[in-house]
Amino acid sequence: MPTLVSIFDRPQDVVSAVKKLKGRGFDRVETYSPAPFEEIDEAVDPKPSRVRLFTLIGGLTGVFTGFFIQIWMSLDWPVKIAGKPFASIPPYVIIGFELTILFGGILTFLGLLIVGKLYPRFELDPAYSPRFSGEEFGVVVTCRDRDVSEVDALLRSNSAKEVSLVDA
Amino acid sequence: MTPPPPATAVADLGRPTSVVQDSKINRDILNPTRYVSWQWGAMLLLAVIGVVQGFATLAYQTYVGLGVAGYQAPVFWGVYIITFVFWIGIGHAGTLISAILFLFRAKWRNAINRGAEAMTIFAVLTAALFPLIHIGRLWKFYFLIPYPNQRGLWVNFKSPLLWDVFAVNTYLTVSLIFFFVGLIPDIAIARDRSTGVKKFVYSLLSLGWQGSSGQWKAHNRTVLHLSGLATPLVLSVHSVVSWDFAMSIIPGWHATIFAPYFVAGAIFGGFAMVLTVMIPVRRIFGLEAYITDYHFENMSRFILFTSWIVGYAYAIEYFIAWYSGVEAEQTSFWLRAFGPYWISTWIMIFCNCIAPQVLWFQKLRTHIPTLFVLSVLINIGMWFERYVIIITSLSRDFIPGAWGLYIPSPVELSVLVFSFCWFSMFFLLFIKFFPIIAIAEIKELAIHEKAHGEGH
Repeated sequence: MPTLVSIFDRPQDVVSAVKKLKGRGFDRVETYSPAPFEEIDEAVDPKPSRVRLFTLIGGLTGVFTGFFIQIWMSLDWPVKIAGKPFASIPPYVIIGFELTILFGGILTFLGLLIVGKLYPRFELDPAYSPRFSGEEFGVVVTCRDRDVSEVDALLRSNSAKEVSLVDA
Repeated sequence: MTPPPPATAVADLGRPTSVVQDSKINRDILNPTRYVSWQWGAMLLLAVIGVVQGFATLAYQTYVGLGVAGYQAPVFWGVYIITFVFWIGIGHAGTLISAILFLFRAKWRNAINRGAEAMTIFAVLTAALFPLIHIGRLWKFYFLIPYPNQRGLWVNFKSPLLWDVFAVNTYLTVSLIFFFVGLIPDIAIARDRSTGVKKFVYSLLSLGWQGSSGQWKAHNRTVLHLSGLATPLVLSVHSVVSWDFAMSIIPGWHATIFAPYFVAGAIFGGFAMVLTVMIPVRRIFGLEAYITDYHFENMSRFILFTSWIVGYAYAIEYFIAWYSGVEAEQTSFWLRAFGPYWISTWIMIFCNCIAPQVLWFQKLRTHIPTLFVLSVLINIGMWFERYVIIITSLSRDFIPGAWGLYIPSPVELSVLVFSFCWFSMFFLLFIKFFPIIAIAEIKELAIHEKAHGEGH
């Protein structure tokens, strides 16, 4: 399937181009942008990022781990300290809290790697260009052969500076 | 599949692989990574010399024993603990700027957050060495970690010192994650503009970042969540450090005000260190277009505000000492100001409460030489604050018969110098290899302005 790479200067043009492409039923659209623009990400895929699930799981695991290890370890070899119960909850809140943050943070990072498909690699997408880490935006559309000219016209009418064809 | 008869407009264009003209922001900010300036080389050399002498001193101390530190009964917490608290405090500005100001959508943080975050990481890395140096027998540090062992013993979870182990390690880990997540898009920018070994390393570190919509979406969400997690964390870490003192019954330490007092002091000292570090960096690498008067003015306001909180805490400590009616407490505070350590107390009050008042004047808030001198004074003042809290309180506890004096030994001062060199070495290496300003965030503002013209 042919892939068209188009280059834009302004984020709002990217948004309108993506919306129009989606409106015409071209669903295989990807964008590359040099900086975060939420409106572009929304236009490509309106669903909220799944990273939030990872944070939740991490935080909950952390708080349970924190309280569990403290209570279990202080009961495993009971030592009376300051006349307090072996497992006294108030001071344990602190390490419970710290582990919530620790596990939440680590799982959030893992979530970024998994959801964002980030891993060390040397071959980037064929449509990617170093210009997209400059100040230009890329909209990449994969479509059927007979739609190429239509997509091309659509991109250009939405102020694409350049459109080129990459064979996938 | 045979290629379609290409649309005429498409046919004459090749693949857009070459960088036509790289953006000015990229060129300006990546510039420091492209050449070695003599100032940078000289500073790195000095830092490395300091680190080497520090390691020699530490080897000596480890071989001979902790007796070479100036510890004298009853003062067994000295320069090492002071320096630990000092560096942990420095580490607070970075996460404050990156997490709390992010949640408040204070966009001015963009120019300074990378520098401040790097400073945080290296400050916490420096601080984390000090408990180990302080215990003397470095090889026993693993006793602090709760792990199953054949003696069946566990650590004491009711001890503030153990809370500190968890708090500092969590802080280091989460700050490092936060820092790295912010760096990924910028490393990708550097990857696209380098060759050879550099490209290889940047490719590994950038994790295949391409700025696709899915990646940015995950990235935005990650930064939001990490900010949410780091905000209570940054407040908790210095609170926990303060409880190392406040949970004991030593006069001068046993105060409920300690947690907010320490957190405000940490932000105060941290912002001063951001100034101390960023003013020369901005000058040497010509980043005046990115770190502007506006940023200095905002940081100055933070410093002025937290200076008042710190000054208020000093005053309240005296009030409570008097109001408590506890004789040991009253004596301790009287001797703080007029006893053997009076000079450190007055240095602290001058540097932290009196000197920052120059920031009431707008001209001085943006006058770089004044800010630099002031920031160095505040660093000194904050180090002496911890000196005052730790040494004066320990040396004068309940019974005059148990009183004693502590004077830092040359070994401790050598390790103090080492800590600054260790921090500077990492920071200098960082600015040589990574962008010191968050490029993607700066671009977000620049592109936004360009796209919407003067209307916004």
